[in-house]
Amino acid sequence: MSDRNPKYRQEIQQMMFVSGETAEPSIETTTLIEEIVRQQVIEILIRSTALATRRGVRSISTDDLIFLIRHDKAKVSRLRTFLSWKDVRKNVKDSDDKGGGDAADFAGADDPLAAGAVAGPQDMAAKPKNKRAKVGLVWDVNSFYSVQVPERDDEEDEEEEEQNYATLQRLAAADERTKHMTKEEYVFWSECRQASFTYRKSKRFREWAGFGIVTESKPNDDIVDILGFLTFEIVQTLTEEALKVKEREDHEKNRRGPTDNGGENPKKRKRETGLFDPPEEGRNPVEPRHIREAYRKLQATPNRQVAMLLHNGRIPSRFPLRLI
Amino acid sequence: MSLGHNHHAWLPPGIPRPPDDSQDLKLANGYPKSASGSRTPLVRGSFVADGSHTGNSISETDVAVEEDPRIAIFRDLYKRSEAKIGSLFDRDHKVEDEVDDAALPVAYVGDPDTKTLRADEPAAPPPPPPKKPARKLDDDDYDDYDEEEEAEEPSAAEPAQSPVKARSSLAAPSSQDLGGTPSPGHRASFATSTGAEGSKEVKKETLEEIRKKLEEDKRATEEAAKRSFHTLFYTLENDRDAMLDQKRLEESERQVEAEMSGQANTGNDNANSTQSGYGSLSSANLGASSLTLKNLIARIDMKRTMVQASDAELRSLMSEVRKNRSKWASEDKIGQEELYEAAEKVLSELKAMTEHSTAFLTRVNKRDAPDYYNIIKHPMDLGTMTKKLKALQYRSKQEFVDDLNLIWANCFKYNTTAEHVLRKHAMYMKKETEKVVPLIPDIVIRDRAEVEAEERRLQMADLDGAEESDDEPIMSSRGRKAPGKSAAKKGAAPARNTPSGSEPPGAASSQPPPPLRADSHVDTEGTQNGFGTPPPSTQTPDPAAGMPASQDDSMEIDGMVTSNAALSALSASGVDVEDPEYKIWKQVTKKDRAIIAAERHRLFKGDKLNSDEPALLRTKAGMRRWLHSQTQAHHDGDKTRESSQGMESDAAGKTLAEGIEVEEDKVIPDYYDVMSGIPDLPDQILWREDSDGNIVDASEEFLRILPKGSFTQPDSKFTHKLNANMRQMQETRKICSKIGIVKQMQLQSQMYQNQFQKYNPEPFVEQDIPSHVMNDQGPVTSPWICKSALQRSVAKLFYHAGFEEYQPSALDAVTDVASDFFQKIGETLKSYMEVPKIPASDSPESTTQNSQWKRPYTEPEIVLHTLSSVGIDIESLESYIKDDVERLGSKLATVHDRMKSLLSELLRPALAEGGEDGSHAFADGSDQFASGDFAEDIDEDFFGFKELGLDKEFGLATLSVPFHLLQNRISAVQSQNTSSTQIINIFPPPSQYPRITTESLSSQIGLVQEFFKNKLEAHNNDPLVEDLELPPKQRPTATRPRLPASGKIAPPSNLGGPTSSPSKRPAPPSASFGSKSGTLEPNKKKIKKNSSAGMGIPEDENSGDIDGTKPDSNAKTNDANGEDDAAASSFGDIGNSKNGVENSATSDGAGELDEQANKAGDGAVPLTNGTAGDVS
Repeated sequence: MSDRNPKYRQEIQQMMFVSGETAEPSIETTTLIEEIVRQQVIEILIRSTALATRRGVRSISTDDLIFLIRHDKAKVSRLRTFLSWKDVRKNVKDSDDKGGGDAADFAGADDPLAAGAVAGPQDMAAKPKNKRAKVGLVWDVNSFYSVQVPERDDEEDEEEEEQNYATLQRLAAADERTKHMTKEEYVFWSECRQASFTYRKSKRFREWAGFGIVTESKPNDDIVDILGFLTFEIVQTLTEEALKVKEREDHEKNRRGPTDNGGENPKKRKRETGLFDPPEEGRNPVEPRHIREAYRKLQATPNRQVAMLLHNGRIPSRFPLRLI
Repeated sequence: MSLGHNHHAWLPPGIPRPPDDSQDLKLANGYPKSASGSRTPLVRGSFVADGSHTGNSISETDVAVEEDPRIAIFRDLYKRSEAKIGSLFDRDHKVEDEVDDAALPVAYVGDPDTKTLRADEPAAPPPPPPKKPARKLDDDDYDDYDEEEEAEEPSAAEPAQSPVKARSSLAAPSSQDLGGTPSPGHRASFATSTGAEGSKEVKKETLEEIRKKLEEDKRATEEAAKRSFHTLFYTLENDRDAMLDQKRLEESERQVEAEMSGQANTGNDNANSTQSGYGSLSSANLGASSLTLKNLIARIDMKRTMVQASDAELRSLMSEVRKNRSKWASEDKIGQEELYEAAEKVLSELKAMTEHSTAFLTRVNKRDAPDYYNIIKHPMDLGTMTKKLKALQYRSKQEFVDDLNLIWANCFKYNTTAEHVLRKHAMYMKKETEKVVPLIPDIVIRDRAEVEAEERRLQMADLDGAEESDDEPIMSSRGRKAPGKSAAKKGAAPARNTPSGSEPPGAASSQPPPPLRADSHVDTEGTQNGFGTPPPSTQTPDPAAGMPASQDDSMEIDGMVTSNAALSALSASGVDVEDPEYKIWKQVTKKDRAIIAAERHRLFKGDKLNSDEPALLRTKAGMRRWLHSQTQAHHDGDKTRESSQGMESDAAGKTLAEGIEVEEDKVIPDYYDVMSGIPDLPDQILWREDSDGNIVDASEEFLRILPKGSFTQPDSKFTHKLNANMRQMQETRKICSKIGIVKQMQLQSQMYQNQFQKYNPEPFVEQDIPSHVMNDQGPVTSPWICKSALQRSVAKLFYHAGFEEYQPSALDAVTDVASDFFQKIGETLKSYMEVPKIPASDSPESTTQNSQWKRPYTEPEIVLHTLSSVGIDIESLESYIKDDVERLGSKLATVHDRMKSLLSELLRPALAEGGEDGSHAFADGSDQFASGDFAEDIDEDFFGFKELGLDKEFGLATLSVPFHLLQNRISAVQSQNTSSTQIINIFPPPSQYPRITTESLSSQIGLVQEFFKNKLEAHNNDPLVEDLELPPKQRPTATRPRLPASGKIAPPSNLGGPTSSPSKRPAPPSASFGSKSGTLEPNKKKIKKNSSAGMGIPEDENSGDIDGTKPDSNAKTNDANGEDDAAASSFGDIGNSKNGVENSATSDGAGELDEQANKAGDGAVPLTNGTAGDVS
């Protein structure tokens, strides 16, 4: 907490780029995002620590983290995919270490995020022997019974397909964007896709998120990896939401653009570069206010949480932070 | 001059004008006064229309109402005739005018029907010359009329330029018209005494009228309010305010009382002293008080010397004795009683309007308004007025009214913003003041001495009635005794003399301005409310009226002007919002409600019930009142129905009320007074009898049986899915428990019967409540049953979510949460359903029809809104059904399949055989086998458990194989088979040795030929049976003697008994029984065969000679023993020594040895045969 200078500017920029922001966001924007992400990470850590404590365990486990995001089924599914591929990678590495053979095949799988989602299926096809270990959840059907349910290979988990809808949408969008890229551009793109808060910067991340302060135990690498995944998700969600906000704003501005020249809204006009000016590089970057608005939207308390407070219930002055 | 201007000049300044200003229109039409007069009957007519419903107490009102238009007509007529007279006489004939004026009221009151008389009257000779100055009141009215006539002719409307008085300016046009300018003062001097007398009469009459009218109005509103009691239901919401207001009022009164008491004491002392000083013991003085007491007084006078009391004491005693004398009565002050009584009434009435009067009850606190006394120089409030009243500081009505108006004026002055709340209150209070002020007789209090002196003077002048004048004081005091019309008249008499010039100076100075105001108020009232015609010939006796010289007046004007704005604001926003009926209700019932609320309030201490407080009890009076209103309502409701019931209750009421003095009538609906009254019996439980006197049982009409299924889950697809999932889970759990048992068995070497509980869950069945008879429509409101039903549903969902069992407290907690949640949903739903209806179409005229109204939300909309307000949308519901129910079902099914296959895998060695054989012995599931139940199917002691006594040992109820035994065997066989198969596969089993017969004896070696020969001879030359060919139990080594822990060998008798413990040994080798292959499949069969071989095969093969074989076998074992001995010579010492021991101990010792040998052979089961054979 001693230093507040941003540490992840480049990563955040890359993530934003992957998430759809083409222009270069200002340093204020990235700093703001970074702060939001850090707040979220700290919240995640605090809550998962509390969960672990309730279980009677001192250290956070993967389940605690997944439990926190359990309501976002798509995210859980993505995370499970990510974890299972991480497992695969580890196994392959182990076998590679032993066999010393085809490490080159998995160059693409280096990035946990990209590899998990994109390169996964091909790998799967190529190496059926490296079976993906399924990440079981404690609250799944399998844990209903006292006896461990035997795995069976032939049954494909159909829910994964469905729950991955959002992921597939993202992938489709990414595919669309990369379709017409030149080779250099694509290299840049794939580099950006590898951006991570944690990958190969575990130490920096630990310091940044205040691990020693927030949690007593030292979360292991798995946790850090998951957090890396989640932070990427946070940035992506924020960016997408902010882009939506911006789009709406632009639309609104265009709609009443002609009348806006009258100057009844000087505040808006000030940062506008001029209506008929050719937009620089096609578009303006997302600005902090967009991020703020997006954050506000994402933090809005859903009705479900206040349902029990209807009719003479006392509304608490402050609702807990919502995990994005 | 324009009409409007004239109008303003004509009206007293600052009068709030009705917003619609219809007056102007009427004036232009030429019927100014009659128009305004006719308004009154209209409004009253509405009252009548209302009142006709109730029927009673309206008649009076009717009379009053009828009177009004007549008066108006007469006035009109009078005016006309007046105009005629005006044209006849010249300016000089003012006297006639005056006479006319004065006489007119008499005329129309005395004989209202004849116009001719009126017309003639002016022509009548002028009345006697004036003895007293007449009151100007009449002129005033006259002027008003003139003025109105004047208004018809705009040309004559000249601006009032009269330098002296504003009033004269008003009079000016009229004088023009009449051709004379009668100055009021001048005219007054001409007024005749009779005229004055007549006008007095009239004035009294009208005053009475006004008062009556006001009271009637009040009563009418009360009636209206009472009527509304039956049609509207009022809530208690305003009671608290009413109570608090009332409390404040009482407090202020108490305060005044407390302050007064100190003063009053001293004051009384003073009065007493003066009185005693003043009083002389004359019957006149005392007699002044009463005629009825005359005799008493005379008596007292006669025996005066014997009376120990002083004069003053007697006086006060007297006044106490006299009935109906109020506390205000005073011997010395004439008119005080009347004035003060009325004033007090007015004051308390104003105070009682707590809704508005609260702010004016007490002095303005300097803390609340620091600058108040900077702005307001003459503060006044109702409390102070009460104080002043009690201190007898008012000398006339004017003073009193002045103070009242000062309060409102102060308020308007201080609170300048038009929107101020207090202004509204003040406005309201002002209006009320105007309404009630006419109730106060216009009296100026005078000292008796003064009056008497004056009267004496008059008597001197008047030659007629010297005696009458003597009586005068008596009369007046008698009036006091019996208040009423005459009392008022007489009481007012002295006051009428005031303008004569002998009035007290203080009164004179304060008098002039107020009358104008009073007058104007009345006018205002008349125009604003159409309420009570302004008395034509009353009041405003002021010559100097209209001179707005005093500070008060300017203030008043100021206030009035602003108050106009305030009024409009008030009518625009504040007042009109409230339902007028509701307002009336609030006003009328306020006090009673406050009292009731206070009673209730006393029962509480803080938020809790105060147990020490005495309970509210039923009072007889209250009950009677209730009965009365009941019957009244009954009568009102339908008069056609014969009122026998009513009569009965009436009678009952009377008996009940016997000996109770009548309480003052409470204006409050019955339901408000909860302590009195009996709830209505619903029709259905009335005691009815038919013509034969049998009781009619009406229970069928309202009793009903609760339909089935109100407490069970309704039948739906969703329910089915849910239930199917739960069943699936149960099944899977069953399998799980079996898997667990099997696994446990494989681990443990020893198991007990009760080690494993059989998991056999009951299927879920929802119990409905037993058939239940309901009294009425509507749902069952039994919290316990409803809660347990909800609990069951919650538990079901729990189970569905994967919980197998739950703590009751957890279930309770979740149930509470759920009920809370559903309550929220219900409330939200309700609030959406109760949104007021909106017109179906936009056109305004269609809104009048009732059918055109519709709900603002359709039902689906309501449901959707509700759902969204609790954070649920259709998608989430759908996804719940899809993901959490349907998909869960499929997941559960796959899990079930996997579990099943896992179990079958675990049981595979045993299960597989049936399939291969095609026998499908256990095709119907593994249950039978797993539980060992199949023995029962064939109804046989298949395993010989009974024979072996095992059934007793295990406490077997059936002949099924104890599960652990069976499983143990399976696993043992399994492990054994794995080893044996391999061996057998490698080494095919050797062929059996041929039995030794007499034929084959020769092929044996020579050493044993003799031995075998002996054997064969012993067995009748039958082939010799090998030991190993025998079933294990029949072998000589079957019962294995054991060496007990003591080291002593048990006596041989014990050995014959069944083994006391289950055999823990692996099954004996079965190779010798001809099983061809050692593969896994036959294993099971082998077990069976094995055991069956133990029982059945020997039977088959050696049928008939079981009995025989046993001794044979014994012999044979002996042989074998010997054989062994021979063969085991290589064993050397061990065998010998053992043999020796056993031989010495028992004859069966050989068996033991044999057993050992057998054991050695068992060690390598499959091979022993061969070796043994070889050896042998």
